[in-house]
Parts: sequence; C-alpha cells; structure tokens
Amino acid sequence: MAIKNPVAKTIVWLILLLWSVAVLYPLIWTLLDALKNNEQFFLNMPWALPKLPLLWSNFSYVWSKYNFSTYFLNSIVVTTGSTLLGMILSAMTAYVLARYAFKGGKLLFTLYISSMMIPFALALIPLFFLLNDLHMVNTRIGLILVYASLNLPFGIFLLVGFYKTLPKEIEEAAVMDGTSHYGTFFRIMLPLSQPGLITVLITSMLNNWNEYFLGVVLTNDPGKYTLPIGLAVMQAEMQYRVEWGPLFAGLLVTMVPTLIVYIVFQRQIANGITAGAVK
Amino acid sequence: MTTSSKRWKRSLFIVSFILPTFLFFGVFTIYPVIQALQKSLYDWSGMSENSTFIGLDNFKEMLQDPIIWRSVGNDYFLVAGKVIGIMCLATLFAVALTRFKLRGSGFFRAIFFIPNVISVVVIGVLWNFIYNPQIGFLNAFLSLFTEKKVDITWLGFPKHTIWMLLPPTIWAGIGFYMILMIAAIVNIPASYYEAANIDGAGQWEQFRHITLPLIWEQIKVSIINIVITTLNGSFVIVQLMTNGGQPDNTTQVMGSYLYRMAFQQYHFGYGAAIGVLILVVSLATTLLLQRIMRQETIEMQ
Repeated sequence: MAIKNPVAKTIVWLILLLWSVAVLYPLIWTLLDALKNNEQFFLNMPWALPKLPLLWSNFSYVWSKYNFSTYFLNSIVVTTGSTLLGMILSAMTAYVLARYAFKGGKLLFTLYISSMMIPFALALIPLFFLLNDLHMVNTRIGLILVYASLNLPFGIFLLVGFYKTLPKEIEEAAVMDGTSHYGTFFRIMLPLSQPGLITVLITSMLNNWNEYFLGVVLTNDPGKYTLPIGLAVMQAEMQYRVEWGPLFAGLLVTMVPTLIVYIVFQRQIANGITAGAVK
Repeated sequence: MTTSSKRWKRSLFIVSFILPTFLFFGVFTIYPVIQALQKSLYDWSGMSENSTFIGLDNFKEMLQDPIIWRSVGNDYFLVAGKVIGIMCLATLFAVALTRFKLRGSGFFRAIFFIPNVISVVVIGVLWNFIYNPQIGFLNAFLSLFTEKKVDITWLGFPKHTIWMLLPPTIWAGIGFYMILMIAAIVNIPASYYEAANIDGAGQWEQFRHITLPLIWEQIKVSIINIVITTLNGSFVIVQLMTNGGQPDNTTQVMGSYLYRMAFQQYHFGYGAAIGVLILVVSLATTLLLQRIMRQETIEMQ
C-alpha cells in the first residue's frame, strides 16, 4: 500500500532527499576541491566552485610527487592477486563441502564459518611476526596471502550455499559419461557457478582494495604501500606541508575505482550482502 | 573400474580440494590466532630471546590501566551510537523505499549504498575536512548564521571528541544494513499487508505488527554484525581522525591502543593481551545480545 497522507509522504520524501544530499555532496565537494589551490581553500567558502583555470595538474602532482602511481600499481597487484587466490581456494573447498559427504566435513564448514566471529585484530601481532619470519613484511606477496586468507570464510560460506542450489543430476550425468571428479568440477560445475563466483569476486575485491588495518602494520616501505595506506600517510604529512588540492585528488584516485565497480556490479554486491546475512 | 579404486579416486579428489585451502587458512588465520592467545601470557618486546612467561600478569596489569577502561568504554559508546543511529535510519529508509511506493526508490537505494564501497581511510580524511577548524565545511556552514566566524576545533574537545566519530561511522554504515532490511521486507508475503489493509490498519500498525516481527531476524543479525565490526575495526577511524586516540587518550579504543602498545611502544605481549580482550568482549557481547533479543522475539509472537 502506498502512503495516502500527502503531508507524510512529502516529509518522508524530503528526508530521503536530504540523506541523498548528505551522501552525494561530500563526493562532489571532493571533486571540486581537487581542482583548487591553497589560496582558494583559505580565502573562499568550502562550497565555492574552483576558480578557472581548473587545476587538473593536482592529479598529475599526486600521481608523481606523492607516489600515487606506485600505490595504485600496488593496489592493483595486491587486490587482483588476493581476490583470485581467495576465490580459487574458496571455490575448491566449497564445492567439496557442498557435494561430498565425508568425515569431518561439517566440522570443517563450522570452523570456517565461526572464524567470521573472531575479530582479526586478535591476529594482528602474530601475523606481523609470521610474515617477518617468512621475509614477507613489506612485500606485495605478503599482503596478497594475508588478504586472501581473510576472504576465505565469506567465500566458502557463500559458495557452499550456491553449490547446494545447483541440481545434482548434472554431476550424476557427468559421472555416467565417465568424467572424472576433476573434470566435473573444472568443466561443468565451475562454469555453472559463475554468478556465485562473481558475487564473491566483487565483494572480496572491494574489501581488499579498501583494506587498511592489516596493511598499515604489514608494510612500512612507501614503495609497497597500497592506496589507503599511502593516502593516510599523505594526510599525516599535511601537518608539515599543506597541499589540500592534491590531497583531494588523492582521495579521488583512491575511491573512483571502487565507485566504478559499484556502478557496474550493483546487483552482485547487493546479492553478496543478502546471501551473507541469511545465517 | 573396481569399487576400491573408485573410492580411492574419490578420497584423493576430496583431499586435494580440501587440503590446500585448509593449510593456507591454518597458516594465515588459525596459527596467528593461537599464537595471539599464547603470547598474551608473555612479557615480550618483539625479539624472541626477550620473551618471558608471566601467566596472567598482562591481564592483571590491564585492570590497573585506566586507558584500557576508557578504550572499552569508548568502544561500547561507538557500538551503542552506531546500533541506534544505523538501525533507526536503515530501517526507516528500507521501509520507505519498499512499503511506501515512492517515486525514485531505486535511485535512493543506489545512492544510499555508495559510502559502503568507499575505504574507511577515504571517509576519515573526508570527514576531517568537514570538521577542519579553519577551512572545514561545518564551521563555514555555522558561520552563515553567526556574526563572528565560528572556529570550533571539532576533534579537539577535552572530553567529548568521541561523539564526533559517530556521524562518519553512521554515514558510512547505513547503506549495507538498509539493503539487508530491504531484502527482508521484500520477502514478506504481500497477502499479509492486503489483509491488514482490509482490516483498516495504518502504516504504523502494519510496521509494528507485520514488518518488524518478520524482519526481526535480520535486525538481530545486523546488530550483532555492527558489534563485531565496530569492536574489531574502530581502530581505523580513530587512527585517521584523532591521530590514534587524541586528545590525551580520550578517544582511544581497544584496537588503537593495541596498535600503539605493540607497534609503537613494543609491548607485544600486552598488545596481544588487548587482542584477547577484544575477542572476549566481542564474543560476550554477541552472546548476551543473542539472549536478550531471543526473548523479545518470543514476547512479540
């Protein structure tokens, strides 16, 4: 039933509109401020439009002077590596847990799922020393391995659910044809599970791209920073060297890739949330 | 093919698909967790030779440490503020975007989720500018209504700076939980509402007697999720917005204190013990909430 009272309807609509502004305005503001110089920050109102000529050079400035090109590349490598590794490892285990009955299977599933309840802050210190022992502190491979491991519980949870929804007859037919277990998985089940895999892929990708907590502990070499870490360091430097325009440009460089992913994969992201919550 | 070779092949397949993931998970998740529990019982400066077993002394020291108490208090403050703020707004938005049949629902839904795909680091830096005393949005906005230019140091109040961390975290959190609620509401059979309409029940009564009881499960999951993610992750926003607990440790949370103790002051044993505290507080709160909210479900039915 639609709301009948026009006054109530208008009020609700206004609240929604107000919140939209609260969400969108800071983002638009970021873009506008990325095109200003310091003088405009101090003399004009924060919502003033940037003066012409627009300072697009702020972007090339953070890109080269603040090493955002390096951070960007690191973010791409770390996110791609960890997301793919996490997804492959999740898919293999999830398929077996969903389709094969064996001793300890249920226990294993419970172990993965219940680990979602453990705050990873607990593992922070030992992870640092583990990576230190493996000579992987300040390496991209170190971050890839740690992030991939963080992705596993959700990936396994979601994909077990997904594999359980696929009809059993497909595999039975494959077995009749003499296809091996591996062949059934790689040639039949893996392609069929594409929608589930994409949901896991997008969710993990966003998490890994945005990760800061572990990254800041596991890297202290600017050459290995990912974007969130580099951005946080840049903000801290603003105490000594005030360059607001470039900082806003850095904000945009960090968030635009995730915004693009969101615009393209909106539905898969929503699926990931709702699947993860039906516990 | 014989039965035994078939069996063997099946077992080999299972093991080859289970073991790599498990070994990986064991090394990078299970082992560090166990290590953390163990190291919390040591006095440890980071070098392996400087590690002495001290039993529960780290935890005894915590009882005497006023910053620990303040951190736990701040964490609970953020949890409570986020649960109230996020759940009220997320539920309101979810109901408005589904039950009210307004124009532009899809648009609003898409917009409201945006903060959830942005890194907390970006959100922290962005809100630092909103709060910035000289060039920030908030002071400039307030100055429109005053004669004198407003120059409040929003992140430097001696006592209540922790309040300022609530708006960014609520702003950032709503979309996710709104999507959850929407999915739950959409799943409620339309016939329930049709019957209520025939009985002449208004929007509020429908919400109170149909929507709320039927999305209670999602509300429960959401609240518990907010608790876990806040206790675990409040570190990031504190690190970025109040420089890891400033002013004078008044915005310290457990995560930021762990980071400071371990990675800035090299008390790794004590840091590990704070990690254990986060785990215990998180599990205890979750269990308690599950109990409380289960009782309420029964009452409502």
